Amino acid sequence: MGMLNYIARRLLFSLALLLGVSVILFALINAIGNPIEILLAERPGVTEEIIQSVSQYYGLDGSVTDRYFTWLGNLLRLDFGTSIIYNQPVGDMLWTFGLETLKIQIPGILLALALAVGASVLAATRQYSRIDFGVISGAMLGHSLPGFFFGIILILIFSYWLGWLPSYGAYSTRNLLWDSELADGLWHMVLPVGMLAFFNTATLTLLLRSSLVDVLRQDYITAARASGLPERRVVMGHALRNAVIPVLTYLGILFGLMLGTAPVTETVFTWPGLGALYIMAIQQLDYPLIMGETMIITVMLVGATLLTDIAYVAIDPRIRLG
Amino acid sequence: MAPPLLSVEGLQVQFHTRDGIVRAVDGVDYSVGRGETLGIVGESGSGKTVSSLALLRLVPPPARIAAGRVMFEGEDLLAKPERELGAIRGRRIAMVFQNPATSLNPIYSIGSQLGEILRWHEKLDRAAAEARILSLLDLVGITDPATRLRQYPHELSGGMKQRIGIARALLCNPALLLADEPTTALDVTIQAQILDLLADLRQRLGMAMVLVTHDMGVVARMADRITVMYAGRVCETASAATLFSAPRHPYTRALLESMPRIDHRYTGPRQLLPTIAGRPPGLLNPPAGCRFAARCPEAMAECRTTLPVETVVAPGHSVSCIRHGSQGIAA
Ligand SMILES: Nc1ncnc2c1ncn2[C@@H]1O[C@H](COP(=O)(O)OP(=O)(O)OP(=O)(O)O)[C@@H](O)[C@H]1O
Ligand code: SF4
Ligand SMILES: [Mg+2]
Repeated sequence: MGMLNYIARRLLFSLALLLGVSVILFALINAIGNPIEILLAERPGVTEEIIQSVSQYYGLDGSVTDRYFTWLGNLLRLDFGTSIIYNQPVGDMLWTFGLETLKIQIPGILLALALAVGASVLAATRQYSRIDFGVISGAMLGHSLPGFFFGIILILIFSYWLGWLPSYGAYSTRNLLWDSELADGLWHMVLPVGMLAFFNTATLTLLLRSSLVDVLRQDYITAARASGLPERRVVMGHALRNAVIPVLTYLGILFGLMLGTAPVTETVFTWPGLGALYIMAIQQLDYPLIMGETMIITVMLVGATLLTDIAYVAIDPRIRLG
Repeated sequence: MAPPLLSVEGLQVQFHTRDGIVRAVDGVDYSVGRGETLGIVGESGSGKTVSSLALLRLVPPPARIAAGRVMFEGEDLLAKPERELGAIRGRRIAMVFQNPATSLNPIYSIGSQLGEILRWHEKLDRAAAEARILSLLDLVGITDPATRLRQYPHELSGGMKQRIGIARALLCNPALLLADEPTTALDVTIQAQILDLLADLRQRLGMAMVLVTHDMGVVARMADRITVMYAGRVCETASAATLFSAPRHPYTRALLESMPRIDHRYTGPRQLLPTIAGRPPGLLNPPAGCRFAARCPEAMAECRTTLPVETVVAPGHSVSCIRHGSQGIAA
């Protein structure tokens, strides 16, 4: 069974999964009722005729199956419809706000991964030492506190007390930092990225450290040392690669759920990303926006799962491509 | 007389545990000459593995090498800086492990893990390293070596993996091979093949070998000299011939008596092999006197208060038993 064949089959499965999700999503959102009726309810002077003509305008007068296939067909052409509240193409909004979210989420996770690798190696190679104990305690604390807690602490210290960093928004509305858009953007990213890194490092470190401790006890590590390979190579080359295998699933989920967890960060920092947009869309019952964003979140998760599966095969030769 | 290739003197390894200090190896001495095979025999837990790992300072974390010298080619390995020791590990002294299933890295191909070691020590280029690995795989009796290079450990049988473990140890032509129960994890027929291979390689390559085992049959077949260990200490060391014909230490004798013998006719309805009653002492707080006293058929009151010291009782034969010519230290 070749690798390409395997990827093709996983891809097919992922597409089937997405299709299933689209059906469920569509059914659920329809169960809420006609959005026009809900949105226009309790407004004075709204007659049955008005509701009907508006419904017709939004294409809500057909049968459920007709509407589903129209919606799906549009989705496949990346046409997500028009936001009811903002009156803009949902696709454009998802793109603009999505970039803002990725801008903090990806550096946050990558930074966390780097920190977790460093901390785990430091701790696991010195098992039972004070350093190990310190790393475990810190990671436990970080793991058990809610994510937004760090955000608030960071804002308190760096914005409120020290006044060094902005606590909300992605850009300054008036004077840009050093008159540079880039510098100003980076300046605003520091705290949200910091919160994400903090939070993600804790759990990743716990997982990676214990996996690494386990691997370092294996015979093949003693054998690598007995072969005269330098400690750095034994740990980074032989041990770490094996230790990462059980952590891959978690990493995949972290990337996959990055949009799903965005609302927390983006609420704390008033960040103009998909998380904040999602909350507004739900509060205001912006159907096309809710559906578009839910589909994007699902695509991310399914895509990350697919990548995780491929990463497993790439790293661990024992996995049979079945 | 030329100094031996390896001499271990007063080696002590201790595990610092929550309950106290476990004296896993407590004053072990032995030596190995160039080209010689020393068999180290002892039951499970007697400290064979820990003492071999200690030679290259590879004892696992809660363990600490507390005392002793390991003289190899004129230098004390226990006093060497880590960097210099790295040039001895795998190059001058190499190890073969007990369990071939766990001693190869599962995520690297055979070629890449062997190649890494060779290139590190010998600074060979890729092609030269591959040529050397192929010839070694051939030497250890692996068929179709070129295919094996690209395979991963899980694709090979246990016997094949152990052959690769042996090839890995031979990569840099070591002067000394440490083999810790290299056949225990294998099927009986494969065991015999691996032992034959080791005997053959030793002769062809002229390397010395420390063969650790709990199997008297294995050392009888392979070793020039034999050291018997019990509870972290050496009981007796002698040439293989002497040890089998004129053992002195009561533990050695008990071990030999518990072996089935081909020249003995087992008669009667149900004649069982003699066994050694009791269990070895705990090494957390070992008894003050002779470690074997509780199980020794010849024990005297003095044995419980006097620690026997290994003493040469005949040329090439040393014993630590106060009833058989050893000195002792009053505890
Ligand atoms: N992690 C540990 N903590 C405490 N004591 C240990 C630990 N590992 C080993 N020991 C002690 O070291 C002693 C020697 O162990 P070692 O593995 O060297 O025995 P061995 O002679 O190789 O036995 P086997 O034939 O089972 O391989 C054991 O009896 C045990 O008391
Ligand atoms: S010293 Fe005493 S107890 Fe120990 S082996 Fe000799 S006779 Fe037995
Ligand atoms: Mg052992």
